[in-house]
Amino acid sequence: MKTASYSSEKNNLFLDGFLKFALVLNALGVFVPLLFMINSSFRNGADIYTTPLALAQGFDLTNYRLVLTEGKFLQYLSNSILVTAFSTLIVLICGAGAGYALARYQFRFNTTLYLFFLAGLLIPAKLALVPLFIQLKNMGLLDSRLGLILVYAAGAMPAAVFIYTGFIRALPADLDNAARIDGASELQVFRKVMLPLIFPVTGIVGIYTAIPIWNDFLLPLVFIRDTSKMTIMQGISVFFGEYGANWGALFAGLTLAALPLIVLYIILSSQFIKGMTAGATKG
Amino acid sequence: MRKLFAAFAAVAVALTGSVFLAPISKAADVSLTMYSWRVEDKAFYEDVIKDYTAANPGVKITYQSFPSADYQTILMSAMAAGKGPDIVHVRAYGALDQLVVPGYLSPLAANEIKGLSKYPKDALDSQRGFSDKRLFGIPFAYQSLGIFYNLDYMRKAGINLPPKTYPEFVAQLKKIKDAGLQPLANGGSTHMEQMWGTIAPMFYGGTDYYNDVVAGKKTFNDPAFVKSLEAVQELFPYMPANATAVNYDASRALFFSGKAAFFLGGIFELGYFRAQNPKLKFDFMATPPMTAGGKQFVSTWADGGYGINAKTSNRAESLKFINYLASKSYGQRFTEKIAQISAVPGVVIKDRQLNKAVSSINKGGTPYIMLVGFRYKNPTGSALLQTGLPNMLNGTKTAKQVADEVTKGVATWFAPFAGKI
Amino acid sequence: MTTYQRPWIFIFVTPALLLTIAFTLVPALTLLSYSLFSWQSFKRGEFVGIENFTRLMQFPFREDFLGAFQNNVLVFLTLFLVQTSLGLLLALAIYRLKRGKKFFQAIVFLPVILSLIIVAFMWKLFLDPLFGPISAIAVEFNLAWLNQPWLGQPGLALFTLIFIGLWRWVGFPAIVFLAGMNSINEEFIEAARIDGASEFQIFRKVIFPLLAPSFTIVAILTFIGAFEWFELPYVIGGVTGQPGGSTTTMALLFYRLAFGTVDSATVDVGLSSAIGVILFVFVGIGAALGSYYLRKREVQQ
Repeated sequence: MKTASYSSEKNNLFLDGFLKFALVLNALGVFVPLLFMINSSFRNGADIYTTPLALAQGFDLTNYRLVLTEGKFLQYLSNSILVTAFSTLIVLICGAGAGYALARYQFRFNTTLYLFFLAGLLIPAKLALVPLFIQLKNMGLLDSRLGLILVYAAGAMPAAVFIYTGFIRALPADLDNAARIDGASELQVFRKVMLPLIFPVTGIVGIYTAIPIWNDFLLPLVFIRDTSKMTIMQGISVFFGEYGANWGALFAGLTLAALPLIVLYIILSSQFIKGMTAGATKG
Repeated sequence: MRKLFAAFAAVAVALTGSVFLAPISKAADVSLTMYSWRVEDKAFYEDVIKDYTAANPGVKITYQSFPSADYQTILMSAMAAGKGPDIVHVRAYGALDQLVVPGYLSPLAANEIKGLSKYPKDALDSQRGFSDKRLFGIPFAYQSLGIFYNLDYMRKAGINLPPKTYPEFVAQLKKIKDAGLQPLANGGSTHMEQMWGTIAPMFYGGTDYYNDVVAGKKTFNDPAFVKSLEAVQELFPYMPANATAVNYDASRALFFSGKAAFFLGGIFELGYFRAQNPKLKFDFMATPPMTAGGKQFVSTWADGGYGINAKTSNRAESLKFINYLASKSYGQRFTEKIAQISAVPGVVIKDRQLNKAVSSINKGGTPYIMLVGFRYKNPTGSALLQTGLPNMLNGTKTAKQVADEVTKGVATWFAPFAGKI
Repeated sequence: MTTYQRPWIFIFVTPALLLTIAFTLVPALTLLSYSLFSWQSFKRGEFVGIENFTRLMQFPFREDFLGAFQNNVLVFLTLFLVQTSLGLLLALAIYRLKRGKKFFQAIVFLPVILSLIIVAFMWKLFLDPLFGPISAIAVEFNLAWLNQPWLGQPGLALFTLIFIGLWRWVGFPAIVFLAGMNSINEEFIEAARIDGASEFQIFRKVIFPLLAPSFTIVAILTFIGAFEWFELPYVIGGVTGQPGGSTTTMALLFYRLAFGTVDSATVDVGLSSAIGVILFVFVGIGAALGSYYLRKREVQQ
């Protein structure tokens, strides 16, 4: 058989060199803007006007202090945590339950329900904004974090059910059958056998659900008016409106808002990646 | 996976804690909320409220301000949801009417406001609905458009005095640009209507033209109106580099950081500039006339008012606060603290630059045409200009095309234009 | 599957089902009904049938609507071609790395986890011609091509937004493709190598065809994302799609008609709902058709 010729080896070197160059370029493209943002957050706003490109002199925390106190960032942050955590919890619990039933129980509407949830994947909350607005108003849930939580949970449910159903279907039924034979009730089967088994995919569903909710801006923009209930992404836009002239503070605000996820990402990057591309990648 | 679980546990702890961070309101006093778009004046209003509540125990007022661009939407949707504020900082004319038509505001009877009769007629009219002519707010300020200038900066180009005529103004712009300096701070991305409105009345014919258009005798296709658009085009070379991408905040920043000679805008920026850069030495003038000693035209309008939510559960207390906002002592404080022209009658203006604005309004005031007359329905004259002017500057449309678009757009709802286009 | 356990089915499925119906299905159906009525702010008026849809096609809304649709198409085509190719390139690059795979994988994906709001506001500041770093660099190093009104010129602005969107999202297709590559059986590649194929040929003939499923997913998601573009234009171009309305996307127009602009609130909920329905149907059918067609090609591969 022919071995690789010299010229094709050279081509391979070029190819790999080019590819590595692309990666380096991408890395620069990712880091430089973020580092610039962080650098500017330590500078005085008026200085940024005069010398946009200069390096910060030390770690001046004035802007951060402004953002956290007058900028109410702590409040926005706590709201975001509240809304994201509760929504995700609801999705994990109800989604796992539905996924379990659809995967394990044979009944008349099984396929219909599965397709129903699948179809739910197609409906973006964005378009149903006005009906949701009026609906929440009628339910008295406008300008409330509970309203946000319910809408978010509902929006994320179809995907969660889809993932859980697929995953549980692939699990062998022997364990739960064995438990049933031993006399366990259905709830016990679910709790003691199923839940530990689906633990691996729970992390993925959790991340897939939580990150977009945390990052979301549109729903709070439309449903939340009271500044004490705003989430952090909405808070940024309010903050930009109030402090639009103080670029140092603006960059500090952006950095603070990005910080939580970036820190989590650094620790759990592979889980993040797996979670956020769930359903799109095989495995 | 254990790491993930730990993360979730930490989150659960955090959220339990954050539940306690949620504010708990005391159900003791009467609690009122006030909405406004004046983010810049937040500190002022909170101060005023502090003193008012000290003098009127049993009342608690919360001031909430929203970015001007979102305010109308936020207010309307809050009202629609039945969750609006008790005291509403309302805009005037068309924007007010949008609240009047669905019945969101509580009409104010003449005997409910002390000193109402002393307000000028046009100020009160600005707070009436288009069809529903009752009064829905007490006017809070007058505004006018003019030219801010930085004489120190101009001296660098060898100019020692502000221009006395409009042609001299343009000549000064050229001189500054030739000296390698920045003549105009205004960008061409947003708030173009304001820049246009500063110089436009002189070209389209002031109040006479306004009356003609409102009566339907003329439209915006009138050559004089097109001339007013072209005047902005004429100023384009003196705007910052890449002006079409320079937004309002950046324009203001350019001026108050002392990097440009002129800023065409509203007198309401006086307080803002002073606050952003107390060290800046600048002055304000009305747009100079075409010829020396000729007629000056100053776009002016009543800026809005304070009103009461029709669905408030505390109308009596709200009314009391409104009466305070209509008092001379409040008006005086308003003018002195945030340097705007209070609409409350009898307020004495000690600020030199504000006084200049007031006298120019008295001499040459003419209605700020789109805001006053053409914001009642969509598409508003203002919106059409805001889209059209940047398009004119970036070369996509000619002045005539923009004028045409404005006329056609307004004609979809403005009856007097029917058959004229 | 196990035995028929009636009450348990109920208990397990109902919560999820109820939530989804209440806050996803019902609003979607309501949207359809809203588009058939006339509106005064948020108060529903009388039944007008398809009048909202026909009004959408008349002056002055027709221009806005068609312009917005055109913008979405532009966004989709550009993202589909450029973003997908770049993603593929980065995926291949990581795939062929001997060391540091995880590291570069993390870097490539980093912008994806950032909120679009943060990305949008950050780049809005960067691109400011007066005080932003891009303009400062252009002036400092005399780079005329860089010194443009990126967000001021109608033609440029949309593409600038696309660039920003790309910056943020290119990591997603990269990871999807990478996962696809990682699942390719090594033996195929080894066999090709032994046969003397160059790396480039291997990519063309072995890897690329086997990426068809990943490609399908990326294509569908790009399609859906492009036609629902909202945050970027909203934050950077404002609700009126500045400059001159050139950054208006259908979702932005939909929002604007429902929630208004600076000097005027709610324009027309009926029109807005009509756009919502059109968008929903278009994206739904497009995704379904695309899915079907691409799946067929997958099998053929």
